[in-house]
Amino acid sequence: MERTASIASQRHSRRRLRLSHDWAWLLAFVIPAFLVVVVVQFYPLAYSLFLSVQDWTLTKSQQPEGFVGLTNFTKVLGDSVFRRAVRNSLYISGGAVGVELFLGISLAYLTLGSRWSMRVVRTILILPMVIAPVAAGTMWRMLLNSRAGLFNYLLNFVGIQGPKWLASPDWALVAVILLDIWQWTPFVLVVVAAGAAGIPDELLESAAIDGASRWQAFQKVELPLLTPVLLLTAMFRLLESLLSLDSVYSLTFGGPGYATYTLTFFIYTLGLQNFNFGRAAAASWLFMAVAAGVIALVFWLHRRSDIS
Amino acid sequence: MNLRLPLRRYALHGLHAFALIVACLVVIIPLGFLALNSVKLEREFLTIPPTIFPSQITFEHYQRAFGDPKTVRFFTNSLIVAGTTTAVSIVCGMLAAYGLARLGLPAWGLSFVVFIFLFIRFYPRITTVIPYFLLMRQFDLLDTVWAIILGHLGITIPFVTWLMLVLFNDLPPELEEAGMLDGCNPWQRLWHIVLPVTAPGVASAAILIAFLSWNEFLIAASIARRQAVVLSIVVAGFVTDKGIYWGPMSAMSVVMIAPMLIFALFVQRYLIRGLMLGAVKG
Repeated sequence: MERTASIASQRHSRRRLRLSHDWAWLLAFVIPAFLVVVVVQFYPLAYSLFLSVQDWTLTKSQQPEGFVGLTNFTKVLGDSVFRRAVRNSLYISGGAVGVELFLGISLAYLTLGSRWSMRVVRTILILPMVIAPVAAGTMWRMLLNSRAGLFNYLLNFVGIQGPKWLASPDWALVAVILLDIWQWTPFVLVVVAAGAAGIPDELLESAAIDGASRWQAFQKVELPLLTPVLLLTAMFRLLESLLSLDSVYSLTFGGPGYATYTLTFFIYTLGLQNFNFGRAAAASWLFMAVAAGVIALVFWLHRRSDIS
Repeated sequence: MNLRLPLRRYALHGLHAFALIVACLVVIIPLGFLALNSVKLEREFLTIPPTIFPSQITFEHYQRAFGDPKTVRFFTNSLIVAGTTTAVSIVCGMLAAYGLARLGLPAWGLSFVVFIFLFIRFYPRITTVIPYFLLMRQFDLLDTVWAIILGHLGITIPFVTWLMLVLFNDLPPELEEAGMLDGCNPWQRLWHIVLPVTAPGVASAAILIAFLSWNEFLIAASIARRQAVVLSIVVAGFVTDKGIYWGPMSAMSVVMIAPMLIFALFVQRYLIRGLMLGAVKG
């Protein structure tokens, strides 16, 4: 008994020794990644906070022209284009993510199973996701061309006179939403399909034995189980859609007029086209505040779903 | 009644098949249109009604694109950026994840790290693009692929670390204890014990990063001017040009999309696994 105890303590101390020795190794492992994150993320973040209270337009001066307090923020908030961009962003992201969830869940259930036909369908359906958003935007710009585009041509077949998509402010907004849906519904599909495959068959069988219809089983058994995953997916999509620049850039370039300016696009033009760094930084920190709220929500959901 | 039941089932089956066929067409038709446009004669663009199928197939748009040494360089740039970013972020991210997983951080410390990763993945990237641009200007790295790669690494390393952290935390500790008793150092344990077990996860992460880096636009656009241009910038660049260059535009889009589509078909399983890791388990 005593012997075992002493061996155990010996082993324990040896292990402690190892761990303390390992400590240097493990720290060295973390350092390269840490350095990159500091240089490319933390430093620029801090610097942009500094920029947000500076007066600096690169076309006028090579250096920041001094502290201006919250002027940049009030200027941005007072800008009607900014407010329009916020509204557009909400319409686009909200509309797109809502439809994506609905379509993604439906398609995931329509393609359940491991038959070869379903596998082929799933393979085809996930393709839009791997396409570069700039290329997808370019492709849709051609499709939606009101004269020579394929989209209105096909609509004509079913007797619908298609609108002038990219020339009309309202329809251009719809076009941006359509593109987002086309490209990212597959993401919801993938996540839901995996989630649904993870639900034990016994649960559904017992629901069937209790006389539940397929729809009732989905509603009462599967949906509650999928809810945490769905919420997370919705938040992820919402954030990514809010942050995306590429697709708007190549589909509408914010136009016609300011009709499809999104928040990200607004900040992009302010900072990297007009080179008004101070105001762009202020706008991006306003944006950051909103995004941080959503990120905190995601994080909270994450931890809850870990626990359950 | 007995007759009606199978009828209803047939109808449902038919509806099911119809819905799936429509969904597949929605994916395929735009891609097909793009591919056809890239081999269409110039005069067949913008006709009314649109010419869907070209009267003859021409490769002039591709020839003109690749006849230009600049295009070849941009393609190579894209390859260099995506390749280097993937390799470096897998190595750094894997090491960092192993370090973080085995350092024995307290629970709150680990949560904090995860929060930082989530934050880095999802804060508005546009916030740091301008300061990063200024930083690179200071170091005289503007318009170099290295600046683009470093910018990508800032996103991908935290992302890989996060994915790997999930994988490493799921491993049973017994797995490595034998290695510890044999006196393996952490590097040997990672290389000989942990990596072989987590290889599929590492592959998934690598594939995801390759896609991300190849398709990335914002950082590349802020850094590149003339030399370090990558394909995403070329494709996006057609927007501001006067008139509509549908032929070259389609050809360049195909050049950018096709490798990734083919790649995706081969690595589909890993891709989906990686997406799941990143979205749900993380």
